[in-house]
Amino acid sequence: MLKMRKRKEKAGGHYTVKSRTATIIIYTILTIGAVIVLLPLLWLFVTSLKSQSDLATNTWGLPKEWVFSNYIKAWTGSQIPKYMINSIRATVLSIIITVVLVTPVSYVLARFKFRGKGMLYFFFIAGMMIPIHSTVIPIYTMVGKLDAYNNLEVLSMIYGAFRIPISIFILEGFMSSIPKEMEECALIDGCKITGIFFKIILPLSKDGIITIAILTVLSSWNELLVSMLLISDPSKKTLPIGLMGFITEYNSEYTQLAAGIMIAMIPTIIFYAAAQEKIEKGMIAGAIKG
Amino acid sequence: MKITRKMRGLILLFILPALIIYLVWVIYPIIQAVFMSTLKWETLNTTKFVGLDNYKSVFSNQLFIKSLKNSIIFMVATTVIQIILGFIYGYLVYLQPKGYRIYKVLFFIPTVLPSVAVGFIWCYIYSPGMGVLKPIMEAMGLGQHYMSPLASPALALMAVIVAQIWNQVGIQIILFNSGFMNISNEVIEGARLDGATGFRMLWSMIIPLSWDVVKMVIILQTIGALRAFDLIYVMTGGGPNHSTEVLPVHLFVNAFKEFNMGNANVIAVVILILAMMITVVMRKVMERDSLY
Repeated sequence: MLKMRKRKEKAGGHYTVKSRTATIIIYTILTIGAVIVLLPLLWLFVTSLKSQSDLATNTWGLPKEWVFSNYIKAWTGSQIPKYMINSIRATVLSIIITVVLVTPVSYVLARFKFRGKGMLYFFFIAGMMIPIHSTVIPIYTMVGKLDAYNNLEVLSMIYGAFRIPISIFILEGFMSSIPKEMEECALIDGCKITGIFFKIILPLSKDGIITIAILTVLSSWNELLVSMLLISDPSKKTLPIGLMGFITEYNSEYTQLAAGIMIAMIPTIIFYAAAQEKIEKGMIAGAIKG
Repeated sequence: MKITRKMRGLILLFILPALIIYLVWVIYPIIQAVFMSTLKWETLNTTKFVGLDNYKSVFSNQLFIKSLKNSIIFMVATTVIQIILGFIYGYLVYLQPKGYRIYKVLFFIPTVLPSVAVGFIWCYIYSPGMGVLKPIMEAMGLGQHYMSPLASPALALMAVIVAQIWNQVGIQIILFNSGFMNISNEVIEGARLDGATGFRMLWSMIIPLSWDVVKMVIILQTIGALRAFDLIYVMTGGGPNHSTEVLPVHLFVNAFKEFNMGNANVIAVVILILAMMITVVMRKVMERDSLY
């Protein structure tokens, strides 16, 4: 019994299926799934290393020769590097905007009592139900009036705005669980609210902030619709729209296309590999809380 | 903490930036959309208030009905299949066979890829020239007149659904897996000591205990499917012959290809109301408390 207590794993902590047949079935199903997931990607990778003629004659085999020039051509001959930089700018900016806007509000909602607090909270949270697609037309018109088309900063602000509901939802939860004693001590020591906010609350909410940052990356990096509508200047395009243009441009040169797409996918895969556990936690926080 | 007079200004400072940005870019646009749905554009710059006329014309429009139907099929198909697959794989990974971590990471990779990439990959798979689907069909004796399913009005929606499921199911797998892991160890051990194993464990313990998670995943997935735009747009643009034109795509086409703003905003409002309705209705319908 003591040994079981020492294990920190949650339920399902160790593999308990006894029957060999069951195990074989389980692995089969899992492997089939893995194959279905990987095959399209592997195949894209293989295609990207072939020459056009190799592709035509030897469509599904391994490349006869590994042609790296596809990658070089795709990188230098297209705007993909520029698109990536734009995407990075927009994403980073939207994270900053979201975090700066949301942390103070979440703090107030989590820690203070005042009339109308429930309503305010609900007002923010209800925004989670508003699909951004329903607002694109007015947003398009508004941005036009501000003469702010092709403006990555405005795009980032829009992304940030739509992250507000769910970010407050998550962060308020995090902040509510910070022990009140810490604040009370600080108050007694003569600390003012801003002091408490910066010195106590923010550091303790680091996990929550990372979570909302990651969720913002996931939603902004691959965002297509709004960026497509608001940005037409090729030098400002973000990766998703840029990729679309790239595909039309290199229409039948599949090997080039494959290389270009692989390049576009690499940042996401690296980001995912690095942040994978945090991403998982973030998604759960976003979905299951409450 | 209670707010004292002195604190008021500061508290306001903490709240206002978020509130203002939220009001300007989220709330105001949605109100605008509702308002604009009651207008008819006589010329590019003048509008006339026509009340619910736009609604009448949209609802009697065949294309709108078709896009509504497409959306429903899309939502139901993706949700049902993703929930089932997500549950199964989430559970298998939860059992933690050797190497389960690798499987977990793998399954989520399609979800982080840009939809343009996913769209391209699947268009390619379906293509008659280089795609793998054709030889598979030929091997099954069905490859006679192979045409990319994306070009056939009858099959295009299904083809897109498959791509969408490939892209998104990782989310369900992870969510279910976490849901299972959240079931307290003691309850499981207790059941095990009582003799519950394998199927019995699954049926009488895990399923009822993860009902909350299932509810949440279904709602999230359904609303997500309602809003699906990126992948579909990239793969088919709504064609062929409007067969993959789900509501968001229909909105896009109306607004930015046909410049029919009044109608487009009606569709926008419809999407909004559907999203709200689904959330509310599904919450109520699934109000059964978890059975413990």
